[in-house]
Amino acid sequence: MTVFLQSLISGILIGGVYALIGIGLTMIFGVMRVINFAHGDIMMVGMYLTYNLFTLCGIDPFASVVICIPVMFLFGGFLQKIFINRVLNALPQNQILLTIGLGLIMSNTIMLIYTSDYKILTTSYSSGSFRIAGISISEPLAISFLITVIITAALYWFLMKTDMGQAIRATAQDREAAQLMGINVKRMSVIAFGLGTALAGTAGALITPTYYIFPQIGSTFTLKAFVITVLGGMGSVIGATLGGVIIGIAESMGAVYISSGWKEVLVYVIFLLVLLFKPSGLMGKSRM
Amino acid sequence: MNSPAKSAITKPPKSKAPPVTYLLATVALLSLLFAFPQIVDSPYTLHMMILIFLSIILGESWNILGGYTGQYSVGHAAYFGTGAYTTMMLMQYAQVPPWLGVWVGVAVAIIVALAIGSICFRLRGPYFVLASIAAAEIIRLTALNVKSFTNGAEGILATDIPPLKLGAILITDFSSKLPFYYTGLILVLLTILMTWLVQHSKLGYCLQAIREDQDAAHSLGINLTLHKNIALIISAAFTSTAGSFYAVYIGFIDPTSVLSLDMSVQIVLICIIGGIGTIFGPVAGAIILVPLSEALRSNMIAQGLFKAGLVGEESSIGIFLKDNLAHSHVLIYGILVVVVILFMPEGVLGFISKFVHGKTRRGVS
Repeated sequence: MTVFLQSLISGILIGGVYALIGIGLTMIFGVMRVINFAHGDIMMVGMYLTYNLFTLCGIDPFASVVICIPVMFLFGGFLQKIFINRVLNALPQNQILLTIGLGLIMSNTIMLIYTSDYKILTTSYSSGSFRIAGISISEPLAISFLITVIITAALYWFLMKTDMGQAIRATAQDREAAQLMGINVKRMSVIAFGLGTALAGTAGALITPTYYIFPQIGSTFTLKAFVITVLGGMGSVIGATLGGVIIGIAESMGAVYISSGWKEVLVYVIFLLVLLFKPSGLMGKSRM
Repeated sequence: MNSPAKSAITKPPKSKAPPVTYLLATVALLSLLFAFPQIVDSPYTLHMMILIFLSIILGESWNILGGYTGQYSVGHAAYFGTGAYTTMMLMQYAQVPPWLGVWVGVAVAIIVALAIGSICFRLRGPYFVLASIAAAEIIRLTALNVKSFTNGAEGILATDIPPLKLGAILITDFSSKLPFYYTGLILVLLTILMTWLVQHSKLGYCLQAIREDQDAAHSLGINLTLHKNIALIISAAFTSTAGSFYAVYIGFIDPTSVLSLDMSVQIVLICIIGGIGTIFGPVAGAIILVPLSEALRSNMIAQGLFKAGLVGEESSIGIFLKDNLAHSHVLIYGILVVVVILFMPEGVLGFISKFVHGKTRRGVS
């Protein structure tokens, strides 16, 4: 039972970060109908940004979130304006290939600068843990989960309560109708892509104390982000949150009860099953 | 694969009553290609040619499914890896020579393809792309995890290739690059012939109808699942052959080199960059991509910059480029695909032909 609870808790904690990545992808898809294959690579850029802030300026990885969010937001806005905006009406295949290309450029540029060596960011609390009711909880995971919750809550508030949030949701619901209502959909697209990028970058910052940092880490997380968003329903923010936690739990349970090598197979099998039997996802409206 | 195929192939696949000059040019090109190793004997040049052949085979086979049928599979590493692993394991563990193993590889790849197709073809557009990636990843992770069977992440190293004998006559012992050059060349000609046959058959028209509009094709009585599966089988069989060829030529395979997502993406990019849904698109893509990426890998670009005097070899930038540029040879794929998608959505070949023929847009496929 302890083992079960233990893996459940660590699954939920890592699931929080997954949710952040998933929400970013789902927002971009919701507003622009573009599947961002560079999402994991964007997260990787966030990881290296945090790594640099730590090694060069000595800023704590969790504190660097404050810098990471605006920088990555601008990066995302730039990507949208220069590249993504040009293919909004192109074939979905071409959009996918463009983002794959952007991802390749990001990961290989980082490799050019930092080589493909694995880097580790060691903080005083990297391997720390505390116990609650006999269950040991990793300190960096707990802090990152806390930050995730705060960011997600702030995002919900932004989307639900502010004018701009409503404009973004309106654009996601019906681009043309939103335009007729006087919403600047182009601006909303830039903001949505910026927000998605910022979320992915933040997720990268949050996992730096616990993960190896290397240029090719992106593709694994891109795939994970897809699994999470499809599971939750493409375009649904609540679905992505839920999907992130479910995938986190599935991975940690899989690692304990099957084997750590097979846990990712489990994730992809769940993915294919969802695609086959409930392609609209848990929270999505059928949009196939 | 065997030499008897050679004579059948010398008929140029392009000659559908073309002017005599076309015919002569094709014959000249073919004889040049066959005589090439006699003229140039630098092993590095031959190696480059073999890599270009491999890319052409991969591009042409993906083209059948992605270009003609419009099903953008980003999981073709699954078939490439299946072919590579089957041939390699048969050769290393059961002493089955590769020219027999390749057929087993094709058979296994077709079975894998049908299994993947039965799942993925229920989905459309981006969902199909995602499902094809997931299926290929499952195969990669399986190869990584079944260590007793595939040797896991350590991969398989070919110790020696059995010599190819016809009766008592030794044809080749695979000690030089020559047999690989000719095998590659013949495979390229076979794949191009296959693509030509598909394009000019009823099957090809059905596939292209599916690409243009699935629902309209369906209402015209085209069986979508059947035709998509036929395209997938042809595509997977040739991709698997390329995989076997790669495994035997390089002599080492592991899940990262033959089954990874990067492999799948590179296969797609050969087509996209050259021009999708055309016979010579993948050829153009391979001729552009392979030398560029090899030039980066072998540091030729850095050397070129030094020679041109743009960057000092001893300057800090020079040292940095020399050390790092070789690691990031995939960068060129990224830059090219972004440029192609944004500025020449019909690929380099389509762009050139549009340029040559002025503004009059002619149907390429």
